Amino acid sequence: MTFRRLALATVAAAAFAAPALAADTVKLGYQLPLTGDTAQYGQDFRKAAEIALDEFNAAGKPFKVEIVFEDSRSDAKEGTNIARKFVDDKAIVGVLGDFTSGVSMASAQVYKEAGLAQLSQTASHPDYTKISKYQFRNIATQAQEGPYNAQWMASKGYKNVAVIAEQTDWGQSVVSGYSEAVKAGGGTVAFSEFFNRGLKDYRSLISKIERAKPDAIYTGFFYEDGAQFLKQLQQLGVKTPVYSTSAAYSPKLIELAGDAAEGVRLTSNFLPTDPAPNVQHFVTEWKKRSADAVPGQFPAQAYDAVRIMLAAVEKAQPNPTREKVRDALAQTTDFPGVTGKTTFNAEREPVKELVKVEVKGGAFVPVAE
Amino acid sequence: MNVSDLTAPGQTPSGLTAPDRRRGWILPALVALAVFVALPAALAAFDRGYFYQIANLALIFVLLSASMHLVTGVAGLLHLGHAAFYGVGAYTAALMTSKLGLGFTVTLPASGLVAAAVAFLVALPTMRLVSIYFAVATLAIGQMLYLVMLNWVEFTKGPNGVIVTKGFELFGFGLSGRIAAYYTVAVVVTLCVVAIGRLSHSYYGNALRSIREDDQCADAMGVRTVRLKMEAFTLSAFFAGVAGALWAHMTGYISPGDFKFSESILILAMVVVGGLGSLPGAVIGALLLILLPEGLRGLGDFRNVMVGLVMFLSILLLPKGLLGEVSALGLVRRQFGAAWRRTAGGEGIGWR
Repeated sequence: MTFRRLALATVAAAAFAAPALAADTVKLGYQLPLTGDTAQYGQDFRKAAEIALDEFNAAGKPFKVEIVFEDSRSDAKEGTNIARKFVDDKAIVGVLGDFTSGVSMASAQVYKEAGLAQLSQTASHPDYTKISKYQFRNIATQAQEGPYNAQWMASKGYKNVAVIAEQTDWGQSVVSGYSEAVKAGGGTVAFSEFFNRGLKDYRSLISKIERAKPDAIYTGFFYEDGAQFLKQLQQLGVKTPVYSTSAAYSPKLIELAGDAAEGVRLTSNFLPTDPAPNVQHFVTEWKKRSADAVPGQFPAQAYDAVRIMLAAVEKAQPNPTREKVRDALAQTTDFPGVTGKTTFNAEREPVKELVKVEVKGGAFVPVAE
Repeated sequence: MNVSDLTAPGQTPSGLTAPDRRRGWILPALVALAVFVALPAALAAFDRGYFYQIANLALIFVLLSASMHLVTGVAGLLHLGHAAFYGVGAYTAALMTSKLGLGFTVTLPASGLVAAAVAFLVALPTMRLVSIYFAVATLAIGQMLYLVMLNWVEFTKGPNGVIVTKGFELFGFGLSGRIAAYYTVAVVVTLCVVAIGRLSHSYYGNALRSIREDDQCADAMGVRTVRLKMEAFTLSAFFAGVAGALWAHMTGYISPGDFKFSESILILAMVVVGGLGSLPGAVIGALLLILLPEGLRGLGDFRNVMVGLVMFLSILLLPKGLLGEVSALGLVRRQFGAAWRRTAGGEGIGWR
């Protein structure tokens, strides 16, 4: 028991030893997985956040912003610990993250109680923003994306479809958001199934899909699983068209799947090829910091989320409080980000403009239809 | 201790000598003082939610580690699916709260009982398995329960997780304040650890140890090995279930990811680093593996390496654990009054 007290005292001492901040510095917290199974996403988010922060601090504003990054390892235990830590730090006026909905929602219970605004760049659970008025997200939900894709596929004449998605809260919302729209539009869902993230062998799933003879396949996966699925689809000689969500929109999908990704259609709200100056600026900065790689959808969402938060902090000046930052966030209207214009509606859900994209010649190409 | 000692003047009515009695309560009193007075006082002085959170989390893992100590440390059954019973308990509490509107007073015992019942059912076919075969069977049981939580979407809400709408309470009296929540967790965990202590430092515990050392020999001596293994497994699941209820009501949101295989391994690591077969060791192991990663947050990405290094070195240099079984047994016998006792007449009355 004395050990525990000793350790607590050490933790306390370390916390108090942190240098005092100048009065004109505003602090934000960012909880994200910097290690563990999903570290690749968290590392990207940190990079995107640093780009946004460096720009903001270099712009000669009357105050500076500091972001405290904490590693949650996509673990709810760690996430809630971090949330408590952020809440304790009275200088922190807003929080970004976490990556997965599960950790975001566990942490949200803490932010709800403390009254600290939380803006996640990726939490897509339908109930996340319903937790309290302090939860925001910067990701198009499947309630918006599903019907959009259903309509797109129906316009191509695909009436009988198969849908598969990963077995996560997000995958559940992919299937429900899409299937309901298909049925409402007079189409039929011939086959629907979930698979576990990181599955290596999709062959049995593919043959089950083929047995249902769909006109097209709608998929809810991230790029790692997507690349595996597409490669095995090609190996089995299946020619059924594949549609997917913005979550699969990453240059790594094409990198890993090669020509198996050819012809895949998906939605996105970020195009690195977009000539708009803010997009090109972000892409150039990103390339500088990541050995010429092109950013995907998620880093772009994180970049925008951080900038939306920074704009809210600026709006809450002078002397931003947690409540003022939350109110400023809620008022976000037509924020010009790299993922298009973002407006938070009354439920703190972002309304996003979606773009149709197809993989052609080893690149994502925007298509009109 | 001979008869003449026992008839000496300092003797108490129950037949135990005075020094025996005195030694038997000093350390327990100190521990109780630390858990119920010193630590809450320190927490209240700092008044930071973060410290409360870590204290509660550490206590919950003390219980998980202690419950696994019973089955893996004392009975010697390598258990690779402990987190699943922790999950069954948490889901029982969460679903009873969200679907039936019941409070912590009901869900706490119910979580333990449901976890124990599930453990009993899955244990039935596996109890004849020994050593590595039993370990693999528990691995399968853990995965099976995890997949049920993940894929039975209609009942468990699957990957969507469950929001637990009620915090701690006792017969309708809310205990959700910081200090009240700490005391709730501390009281439940302490009671459970004391119970586990009685189970492992008694004739019962010795019978379990005999199974670990040589189950055929124990069987030949008339110890009912299958039944005892089953009881240890079920009891340990009961305590894991109780820990699950604490976690569910404390966090307010649970999802299957909290109870996957890596959590079982974390709990196993706590037991092994602390010392297999040693209850104080299991407690120390849990405290170490919860507090160390938090304390090392300042190191950024290197903290996992540091935690790994500490674990590696402790196993390498202290293969019996931070507080090995032999020293742990010596400790509980000398300081916690679990030693062999005699009456005034010199008749043995057993352990404690």
